[in-house]
Amino acid sequence: MSEPVVVDRATKRFAGHTAVNALSLSVPSGIIYGLLGPNGAGKTTTLRMIMDIYEPDEGSVRLFGQVGGGRTHSARIGYLPEERGLYPRMRVVDVLVFLAEAKGMSRRAARIKALDWLERLGLIDWRLRKVSDLSKGMQQKVQFISTILHDPELVILDEPFSGLDPVNSQVLRDTVVDYRRRGKTVLFSTHIMEHAEQLCDRLCIIARGKKLIDGTLAEVKRTHGGQHLIVAFDGSQGAAQRIFSDRRLVAKIQDFGQQAELELTNGADPQEILRGLVESGARLARFELASPSLHKIFVDLVGPEAATAAAIPATTAAGVGAGA
Amino acid sequence: MHKVWAVIRREFVERVRTRWFWISAILGPVLFGGVIVYQIMQSVGGGVRDIAVVDSTTSAFGRRVTEALAASPNFRVTRVPAGPRVIDSLTSLVEAKQLNGFLIISNDLTETGKAEYRASNLSLQTVEGLERALNKVAVKVRLETRGVNPAVVDWAQGIRITLDQTKIARGKTTKESAGESFILAYVMAVLLFMAILLYGVNVMSSVLEEKTTRVIEVLVSSLRPFQLMLGKVAGAGAVSFFQFLIWGVSARLLISLRVPIARALGADASAAAGMKLPHIPFATLVVFMAFFLGGFLLYSAMFAAVGAMSSNEQEARQAQQPVTYLLMISYFSIIGLTNDPSSTFARTLSIVPFTSPIATPVRWTAGSMGVGELGASLAMLLIGIVAITWVAARIYRVGILMTGKRPTMKELVRWVRA
Repeated sequence: MSEPVVVDRATKRFAGHTAVNALSLSVPSGIIYGLLGPNGAGKTTTLRMIMDIYEPDEGSVRLFGQVGGGRTHSARIGYLPEERGLYPRMRVVDVLVFLAEAKGMSRRAARIKALDWLERLGLIDWRLRKVSDLSKGMQQKVQFISTILHDPELVILDEPFSGLDPVNSQVLRDTVVDYRRRGKTVLFSTHIMEHAEQLCDRLCIIARGKKLIDGTLAEVKRTHGGQHLIVAFDGSQGAAQRIFSDRRLVAKIQDFGQQAELELTNGADPQEILRGLVESGARLARFELASPSLHKIFVDLVGPEAATAAAIPATTAAGVGAGA
Repeated sequence: MHKVWAVIRREFVERVRTRWFWISAILGPVLFGGVIVYQIMQSVGGGVRDIAVVDSTTSAFGRRVTEALAASPNFRVTRVPAGPRVIDSLTSLVEAKQLNGFLIISNDLTETGKAEYRASNLSLQTVEGLERALNKVAVKVRLETRGVNPAVVDWAQGIRITLDQTKIARGKTTKESAGESFILAYVMAVLLFMAILLYGVNVMSSVLEEKTTRVIEVLVSSLRPFQLMLGKVAGAGAVSFFQFLIWGVSARLLISLRVPIARALGADASAAAGMKLPHIPFATLVVFMAFFLGGFLLYSAMFAAVGAMSSNEQEARQAQQPVTYLLMISYFSIIGLTNDPSSTFARTLSIVPFTSPIATPVRWTAGSMGVGELGASLAMLLIGIVAITWVAARIYRVGILMTGKRPTMKELVRWVRA
């Protein structure tokens, strides 16, 4: 089965500034994929190119192995844009039915599904009320229903957690996890690393429109955070000092006597250190691989960029790109 | 196509559900009913005027004028000899609504032809009636002073000439008076102007709503911008057709009920039955609808583009002005068009797509347009619609996703070229 989303060297420029620069990424089927980056990194612009809202200036987007963006496949994709919005004067159920119809669903099926979801999220009594009568939290729920009403294979969520109250945030998280369990694919953008760390199978970090790193969460941690190793001894240290001073394996060491914290070099295999220690007769009380948090990797990677992100000039000709 | 249909339905249903739609749907027939009732009341006797004749003549002339006026069913006349303060007291009577007006005549009327009428309400009908009566008496007096037999004068004046009016248009002749054609053309032009403006602005505000609420982003990722624009324009157009249908059916109903209405008002039912109704040929109706549709498509495409390039109501109000002025040109030309529908001016207006939606139906109704010219006008309008829609769709496509400051002319040109 071909990958749901493939972006191939896509570039998008707005009035003299490049929002996305030759970005490539591919989202395999059945996983949760995180697109991470500071404000202004080009996340929203990337998602909009995938959704056919913007046409890439260079490069291409392929969905489900076919040429063409979100519009061609709108029946198979659910999209929650960063800036939420519903028709304020329409009735709740009518909005849901209309948005589902716009994605190619039949009117009758859309109606049944809409009522079903409203029931499930406790909004059934509000179905005939105007959207503007609903509270902010209820409107968020309605918006979320409109994203997944047509049971899409691929869900694309742009900053889904921003502005959500804790209850809705949990509803969203449960649904996302449930989606993956049912073999569907979720692609979401965020600048909050805790969300990404909890949910993502794979991720891609971008800054200033360029990809810095992508891969599975474990790969990213291994290759870019550096690996940390905590070793504590129970009596004999064996040949520990000789092994720790091997620059091929250990980049940095903090020795506390009975315990040491090592930062391993790129590509170093902790198993080799363990074998060396055991063979040299060291008695170990603790041998623990500690991966740095995604947050630390993110700050290390984009720290200087993130600090200047706010200084990126707002575009005029297509100002919506500025928030990406 | 299913998607476009969904947009059309949403546009239609949401519009028809608004209070404003039903207010105007009801207001139309109420106004029309008012016109019918007014006409019936006129025939009942609302038309009789109480007037005084201030007579400063030294001959029997004043009395003869009074008699002539009294003979008409439209006037109730009292003769008042001229004197000091008479004018003042009559003026206060007029102001107190006890008198409609008064006529001042003197000896030199038969020489100079001048008299004076003062009234609270100077209706054309009353003035014409007075002038006709004065003319008749004055001519008679002048002939008598030259020795003509009064009986001969009476006989000579006992004839009234009426013109039997027949319109020759497109190889057919129809019984129709100049007044009727004029009124029909005028009403049509005003209706077209109002409908195009009203429903065009509806398209604009609908585009703007999707922009300001940001629904547009989800829509654009599901439908092509052109599908969206098409659905919007068609939906708003359907609403206006529905509105016209309500008005048309209720007008037809009111006309067929005019005899019972007259009876209920205690008026002469036969007068109501004989009420003059403008005759609208089927071809005229088709031309009217075709050009309404064309004009609506042309202008609502422009209004859609205006909505797309603005970020809020105020901006849109400013940006729509050039489009409104374009439509105003034909509105302000209505009088010129109806007065001389075959002038070069009128011909030009009916070939330019921006003015033809109003100018062509007017000229067609006035009968000064051949089928060939109608075809040319329609063809030009179609070309205009295609061209304008193409430009508007390109502005719309970029504009709907844009926020922030309004684009400059240069930026608009770039959007269209992109």
